[in-house]
Parts: sequence; C-alpha cells; structure tokens
Amino acid sequence: MPKDHGIGASSKRREDIRFLTGKGTYTDDMNIAGQAHAVMVRSTVAHGRIKRVDTAAAAAMPGVLAVFTGEDFAAVGGNPAGWLINSRDGTPMREPKRPVLAHGKVRHVGDAYAAVVAETYQQARDAAQVIADDSEIEELPAVVNMAAAVANASNRVHDEIPDNVCYDWGWIEDNRAKVDAAIKSAPHVTTLELVNNRLVPNAMEPRASIGEFFPGTQDYKLTTTSQNPHLTRLLVAAFVLGIPENKLQVVAPDVGGGFGSKIYHYGEEALARCAGRRNAASPSCRTRMAETT
Amino acid sequence: MTKVTMTVNGKSVSAETEGRTLLSAYLRDGLRLTGTHVGCDTSQCGACVVHVDGKPVKSCTVFAQDVAGADVRTIEGMANADGSLGVIQQAFQDHHGLQCGFCTPGMVMSAAALLAENPKPSEHEVRHYLDGNICRCTGYHNIVKAVMAASGQDVSALAAE
Ligand code: FES
Ligand code: FES
Repeated sequence: MPKDHGIGASSKRREDIRFLTGKGTYTDDMNIAGQAHAVMVRSTVAHGRIKRVDTAAAAAMPGVLAVFTGEDFAAVGGNPAGWLINSRDGTPMREPKRPVLAHGKVRHVGDAYAAVVAETYQQARDAAQVIADDSEIEELPAVVNMAAAVANASNRVHDEIPDNVCYDWGWIEDNRAKVDAAIKSAPHVTTLELVNNRLVPNAMEPRASIGEFFPGTQDYKLTTTSQNPHLTRLLVAAFVLGIPENKLQVVAPDVGGGFGSKIYHYGEEALARCAGRRNAASPSCRTRMAETT
Repeated sequence: MTKVTMTVNGKSVSAETEGRTLLSAYLRDGLRLTGTHVGCDTSQCGACVVHVDGKPVKSCTVFAQDVAGADVRTIEGMANADGSLGVIQQAFQDHHGLQCGFCTPGMVMSAAALLAENPKPSEHEVRHYLDGNICRCTGYHNIVKAVMAASGQDVSALAAE
C-alpha cells in the first residue's frame, strides 16, 4: 500500500494545477511595464561575409528604440564553451570567439548579425526586415559536416583556425598499438562506418529573455528560459559583458522543456541585458528560429 | 488599428488589432490570456489550439479580425465554475499527462474537441486526433491515457510509461 502522508508518500506535482488551467508563468507570458521587444536579423545562408549592414532606415522607423550590430559587441567577450578539451598533443583546444551578434562573418543559417528593439513586437519585426533588405552578405561555400570541414580545410569556418580543427581527441588514436593488436588477433572483423549525428534538442517552448536595468542601483535582472540560471549569470556577467556577478540577477520562471538546450547561455540573453540598459526599457526577444540553429 | 470584439470564455471582450494580428496574439497580448501558448507560430505544434465556435483551431494560423464576433474558448475557460479542475484537466493530473506543461493547454483543448465529437474514442482514435499536437516531454502514453480516462473508459490495460 502506498503511504498517503509523510516520507515516502506519493504526492501530486505542485505545478500541475497552474499548468492545466493556463496560469503558468513562462518567460514570454510576462509583460513588464514599459517592456520593449527585440527581434534578431538572422542569416539566410550557411556561410557568408558581412559586407554591409545598413541600419539607418530601420532606426528611423516608428517605435524603434535601438539597433544593434556585431560592431556593438566587438569589444566585449564571446559566449564561452562550457567544456575545455586538450588535443592529444596536450595543446588546449582552439576556441574561436562566439560573439553576441555575428561580426565579419555569419556561420550558420539563423546566425544573428543585427537586432532591433522597438516598442512593439510588430514594429521590431518590420524594422528587422528593413535591415535584412539593406544588408549585403556575400555567400561563401559552406562545410556542413565534420568530414567535409576537415577535407576542405581551405574553406575556413573561422579565419583564425587554419584547418577547421578545434581539437583532435581520440581513445583509439591514443591506444593505436593495442587496438591494432586486438583487431589483428580477433577471430572476426567487421568494418563499418559509424556516424555520430549532431544532437539538437527542441523543447516546445522557444527561448525568450527579458532584460531589465535599475538605474537607481545600477543592477540588472535577466528573466530567461534557462535550465541553469546560475551558470548563465556567471557567463553573462564575468565572461561576456564584464560586470560584477552581484549586479546581475538571473531568474528562470516556468520553463517549457529544455533537454539540455537551455543549459547554455545564448547571445540573445546578453543582448537583452544590454538593450535594457540602453533604453531604460525591457526588451524581450521571442523567436523560434534560434531553436533550429 | 481596428477594434475587434468577440466572446472569450463566455465574456464579451475587445482589443485593438492590425490586419495581421493573429488570434494567438490577440489572446496573449491583447487580453493577457497567456495560457494559450505559441510554440512554433507556423501551425505545426498545436500548443496554441483554442475552440472557435466549438471547433478546435490553431490560433497562430487565424487572423483575429476574421473571427470577430465568434465564440472562443481557451484553456482559461476549462475549469469548473467553482474553479476546480474540469474532467479532462483532472484526468491529465491523475495520469501524469504533463511535465513541463507547455503543450498542455493545446492538448487539453484538442482532447475536449475530440470528446465532444466522439465521447468514447479508441486509443487509435485518440492518437490520430492528437496528431497535430506535439509534446516533447511525455512520450504521449500518459496523454492518451488521460484522454481515455476522461471519456470514462477503463485505462488500466493501457501501456503505462
Ligand atoms: S504555435 Fe500554433 S501550431 Fe504551434
Ligand atoms: S509536457 Fe512538455 S511539451 Fe508536453
């Protein structure tokens, strides 16, 4: 018999009632007084050189409060990798900068290279479309899987990394003699090619962030769709924007699934925090496209 | 901007719209009824399902101005008059038909439309009807179970997962 009270009792989930009655509070459900909206301008090509991003016309559109491009974030840090790995020869991995907004090049479909903050979501969308129309991106040949990236090393994803290799790591390579001996003495040998698929979780709730700035205390608050607000605070404060961690509060309200994808910090979160400061308003970024990149 | 009036959960409501304002935006931004979720904005996930004149629709695919005057029901209108969970909602809780809750409003609205059309659906019929509602968390078994239980059928033999 299951116990009905005390330790070991089966208990109902506390969140179910609000979820079942439409009273959950997911990030995009919030509406802070004076809230503005940010929309990203995203690459439509897998690899391209940014020749021109002209934001003048967009900046003059109704309701537009601020426009950002990669240039605005050139001086701050990039979004760091969460796990540093050494190559087999002991050298640390070569980690290219992953900027808040793409600068110089776009490297995947959906890579954001500009952003618009406006009073309404529709105004921000309209202005983002104008920036897309007023920009020129020279499409470059793309490498879209690991084998192709190594085979076409002259086609550099990151200009500063000559062979497209971030790190070279392998148990078999480290134990080559033993592996060769084991295969040689095996009664039967099968040869097959194994492909490790790229893993992309896709939660039902798209990512969204709200950045707020409190001029009186110079504090920031970031409300975001995160599985890991503590890490996001560390990354946004210490690594990307260079502000003291105690000045930034990160809140994760109800989160509509994550499956690991919301462990990481995304550029839009840093942007939301900056936009909050520049406008004394609170932009929220809502877009589904970022999920598929 | 045009003022659009309709009945939502039994109340006459109105909000300003542009021609392009979607019903989902009308409900969420105009009326602050944020129980209707937008998962994809492209008619694929079903998180935004509401009833328009009794029929389930994906509210991200309907212009608000096109349903002016309609009778709309959302997840906020599914509880009993005293605030307790309605039969379908209660079955979702009892059978653990939700985890993160993001797909849940759409699931409950689709399930309600199914049971109105077909009060005793088979497992196959439930799965077929909920084809347009995606859930990333539950693996669907317990959602199907909840819907069948809500229809008053014995679900003890259904695969538990
Ligand atoms: S938001 Fe309407 S179907 Fe996904
Ligand atoms: S409960 Fe999370 S998507 Fe269905």
